Amino acid sequence: MATVIHQREKCIGCNYCVELAPEHWKMSKKDGKSVLLGAIEKKGFWSSKISEQDVDVNEKAAKACPVNIIQIR
Amino acid sequence: MNKLKTIELMAPAGNYESLMAAIQGGADAVYFGVEQLNMRARATMNFTVEDLPRIAKLCDDNGLKSYLTLNTIVYDHDLALMKTILEQAKNAGITAVIAADQAVISCARQLNLEVHISTQVNITNIETVRFYALFADVMVLSREMSLGQMKGICEAIEKEQIKGPSGNLISIEVFAHGALCMAVSGKCYLSLHSHNSSANRGACVQNCRRRYKVIDLEEGNELEIDNEYIMSPKDLCTIPFLNQLLDTGVQVLKIEGRGKGADYVRTVIGCYREAIDSYLNGTFTDEKVNNWLAQLETVYNRGFWGGYYLGQELGEWTDGAGSKSTTKKVYLGKGNHYYNQSKIAEFKIEAFPLEVGDKVMITGTTTGIIETTISSLHVNDQGSSLKANKGDLCAFPLDVPIRKSDKLYKIVSQ
Repeated sequence: MATVIHQREKCIGCNYCVELAPEHWKMSKKDGKSVLLGAIEKKGFWSSKISEQDVDVNEKAAKACPVNIIQIR
Repeated sequence: MNKLKTIELMAPAGNYESLMAAIQGGADAVYFGVEQLNMRARATMNFTVEDLPRIAKLCDDNGLKSYLTLNTIVYDHDLALMKTILEQAKNAGITAVIAADQAVISCARQLNLEVHISTQVNITNIETVRFYALFADVMVLSREMSLGQMKGICEAIEKEQIKGPSGNLISIEVFAHGALCMAVSGKCYLSLHSHNSSANRGACVQNCRRRYKVIDLEEGNELEIDNEYIMSPKDLCTIPFLNQLLDTGVQVLKIEGRGKGADYVRTVIGCYREAIDSYLNGTFTDEKVNNWLAQLETVYNRGFWGGYYLGQELGEWTDGAGSKSTTKKVYLGKGNHYYNQSKIAEFKIEAFPLEVGDKVMITGTTTGIIETTISSLHVNDQGSSLKANKGDLCAFPLDVPIRKSDKLYKIVSQ
C-alpha cells in the first residue's frame, strides 16, 4: 500500500494528472481544480490509499504536475 | 491633438501591498488576477473571489479603475469557475475584465461586463480591432509593434470612429514598462515542453532566463554565446521616449509586474505618473528622463531597452540571471505599535540592526509603502540610542501610522 497526497488548493487545473491516471483523478467542474478520488482532507492536504500496482501511474502524475503538489508515500 | 486626451496609467497588483503602492504612486487603474485562471497562477499569493469586493471598494474609494485579468487559455473544466469569477466580479463592481479566450469574452458580454482584449490575443492590425470592437472597449496591442504601426491603428480608430459596446471610441493600450520575453506576446511553449508547466496557463517557469550553451554535435564543441542569456531579453522601459509613445495616440500604459514587490510598483508607477503629467503639461525634458531612469534602476530590472517599439534589431539580451537593481532591501523587523498623538512608530527588530541615518522602507497591506530616513531612535524605553539590535523594541518619529503586521526593511546600495 502507498498513499497519494494532494495539496489541492494550489492546483492550477492543467489536467495532467487526469491524463496520466484517469482512474484516480478527475477535474472538478465546479472549481476547475483536480480531485483525488476517494481522498480524505486534513488541513488542506487530501490523501488516498492506493495499491502497489497503482503507484506507477500516480508517480507519473506527480512527476508531471507543474506545481509539484502531488506526493506518493 | 492627442494631448487633449487623458492617459491612463495601469499598475500591477499582485497583492494588497502592491495595490496600496499603486494608489500611492498615482496609478489610474490596477489589474489583478484571482484563483488559477490568470497569467500569474503560479504565484504563491493570489487573490481569491472573496477578495473582489474589497479590491473594488479600495479602488472606488481612491478613484481607480479595477481590471480583473482572466486571460489564460480555458478548458472545459474551467468554464464553471470562469463564470463564477465573472459573476462575482460583476456583483462586486469591478470595472472590466481583461480577456483572451472567446469563452471569457462571450460570458462577460452576456453579463454586460466591460471587456478589454488582452495582449495574449496579439492584436497587430486595424481589421482585428474592428472585429473585437463588437465586444471590447479597450484593446492591448501586441508587444512587437513599432511606434508607426501603433500610430496607424490609433489614427484609423479616430478616422473611422470605431466604437466599443460602451459607445466610446476604442482605447488602445500598450506595455510601457517591465519584463519582456522572447515569445510573441507571451505565447510561449518552452516551459510547457521542459517542465509540463504552461506559460499560457500562468505557470511559466522562466527557463528562458537561464544561460544556455550550443553544442556542435559533429565535433562536440560547446559554444557559450558571448556569455549572454540569449533567450532572456532586457526589460522594456519606454520612459526615454514616452513623448513619442504617447504621440501615437495610445491611451493606456500598462506597467508589468504582478510578481514583483510593492516597492517596485511604488517606484515605477511614481516615475511614469510624473512622466505622463510632464508630457501632458509640456515639461517633458531629458533632464527629467535621466532622473526617472536613475530611480527606475533602484528596483528590480534586467537592464533596460526600448523593446520593439523603436524598430531596433534584436540582440538586447541581458547579461545576468537576476536583477540589476542599484539598491536592495534587507528585512529588519515588524511593526509593533503606532503612538497616534506623538506620531511615533514602534518596531520589533527580528533580523539585522537598525541605525540612525539608515534609509528604510515600511510595507503593509493597509500601509502600502512608506520610505523615510531614521533621524532619531529610541530603544527599549531606555531613551535615545544610535542603534537597535535583534530582539530590541525601537521607536522613531513617523508622520503616518503603521500597523502591527507591517514589515520594516533597510534600503542598501549594491
